[in-house]
Amino acid sequence: MRTKRVLSQLLKQLLCLAMVAVVLAPIVLVLFAAFKTKADMVKISPLLLPPKSRFTLENFRKVLNDKYLLVGFKNTGIILVVSIFFNVLFGTITAFIIERFQFRFKKIIVGLFFAGMLIPTFVTEIARFKIINGLGLYNSLGAPIIIYVASDLMQLYIYRQFISTLPVSLDESALLDGCGYFELFVRIIFPLLAPATATVIIIKAINIINDMYIPYLYMPKNGLRTLTTFLMNYANAQQGSWQSLAAGIIIIMLPTILIYLFFQKYILAGIAAGAVKE
Amino acid sequence: MNSLDKKKRRFILLSLIIPSTLLICFVVFPAIDLFRMSFTNWDGYSETSRFIGFENYISMFKNKDLWQSLRNNAVYFFTHLLMIPVELAFAVLLTSKLRAAKLYKTMVFMPYIINGVAISYAFSYFFSPINGAFDEILKVLHLSMLSHNWLSDPKIINFVLAFVSLWRFSGYHVILFMAALQSLPQDVQEAARVDGANAWQMFRYIQIPAIMLMVDFVLFDNIRGALQVFDIPFVMTAGGPGYSSSTFTLYTIKTAFTFSNFGMASTMAVAIMVMIVVIYVIQNKIIHGLILKGDK
Repeated sequence: MRTKRVLSQLLKQLLCLAMVAVVLAPIVLVLFAAFKTKADMVKISPLLLPPKSRFTLENFRKVLNDKYLLVGFKNTGIILVVSIFFNVLFGTITAFIIERFQFRFKKIIVGLFFAGMLIPTFVTEIARFKIINGLGLYNSLGAPIIIYVASDLMQLYIYRQFISTLPVSLDESALLDGCGYFELFVRIIFPLLAPATATVIIIKAINIINDMYIPYLYMPKNGLRTLTTFLMNYANAQQGSWQSLAAGIIIIMLPTILIYLFFQKYILAGIAAGAVKE
Repeated sequence: MNSLDKKKRRFILLSLIIPSTLLICFVVFPAIDLFRMSFTNWDGYSETSRFIGFENYISMFKNKDLWQSLRNNAVYFFTHLLMIPVELAFAVLLTSKLRAAKLYKTMVFMPYIINGVAISYAFSYFFSPINGAFDEILKVLHLSMLSHNWLSDPKIINFVLAFVSLWRFSGYHVILFMAALQSLPQDVQEAARVDGANAWQMFRYIQIPAIMLMVDFVLFDNIRGALQVFDIPFVMTAGGPGYSSSTFTLYTIKTAFTFSNFGMASTMAVAIMVMIVVIYVIQNKIIHGLILKGDK
């Protein structure tokens, strides 16, 4: 019995290690390339690091010295802060009202928000492009911000699920005490939603940092590069010089990997909540 | 009471007005507008466009490149479908008694949160024909004869790209299955174990029924995802060579923003929406039928 248990644990570990190898291989190999000189890219196997004496940080220096990297960080940061602020604000209040109040047209409004989740993302831009253009938001940070705020409503599920666990008696006693509706929301409900808000902020941040399509489509201007479109431009400029591109890849991967490693708990909670809806 | 009602109504109205307006202007209206545009020949910049009836729909059905693209989507769909049992197995594995389970859980989900563009470039390097890592791995394993032009041979390119897609998204499904497994009450599993159920019986009669709803969701996610594959081929091959690795969404976007045929592109967008809804309905019937059968 005991040997059987040891054997099964061993087998499990082997399977998991194989999985880890598959996950890490492409990242680690890019990291190896990022430390190589152009000559060593040819001379040394892609599966190996260069010898210590020829280890180079030149590739990283080159990316970090690119002035558009900073521009990318700045733009991504602005888009992130503004869109997440509104996502949290509108998300909490909409979820609160849908969960707690009965009113006319409620079905229609809930239906609209549900439809918003089902409508395919990429192809909608064909029609949305015209509207954004008409508002004069093309080639401005306003375009991605307004799109991120208006669409992608996963936060509603997370908030609704969370609000349904808060006792209704809480609202009732606050209202009986003469608390207004806005006050009830701002003073009592919103603070209680903090754990859900943490999840929403982190998941949204990762989605926005990683999004390529919206900034690519709406902000072709150089000064409006985000982290992701910076990498695309950088890749085009490095034509075939993998070692420089490798350093760029690593730097662009880092922010979300770090966020993930630090806030994993919140991310995994939100991912599961978003899927099990209704 | 009346004044309270009034206050309540004002609160609801004031709170919902901005989010619903945004939703209607930037999500609902564009989706409806796609239907209207699909019957026109709008080019994306002209002031006017002409109503051309079903012309776009007819030429869409005759478009060979588009059909080729749709077939490529199918490759993604089936590879992800075949992966579901593996994902399930890993979910069971990671929720079982396992040393370092936490670390493995972190690893399995990591690809999902990594920048998709960065990963696409990383895999372009991995599969590159000159000094590529994958060919090197094959060489080390004495399998050099299997070397290919992974990203330019039309016969295998979609499988290579689908592999990248698997790498990125499988962990997401594993995490979802794990969440479903963990929501299963412990005492049920304990009782079954006391009654002498073996691992397979536990899996078949207790764990599988508990996660059928999640399988349902993953299947739908799979269909939606496969129909909308975009950034991996966009970055890695731009759909080439020719249209051999194009996908339906990639082709649609190209039709609009490269060939300035917004009317035609809208028709394709409508087709994607219709496909998603139809498949969702059909699949719901089948899966729900299976769940009911399992209950008997």
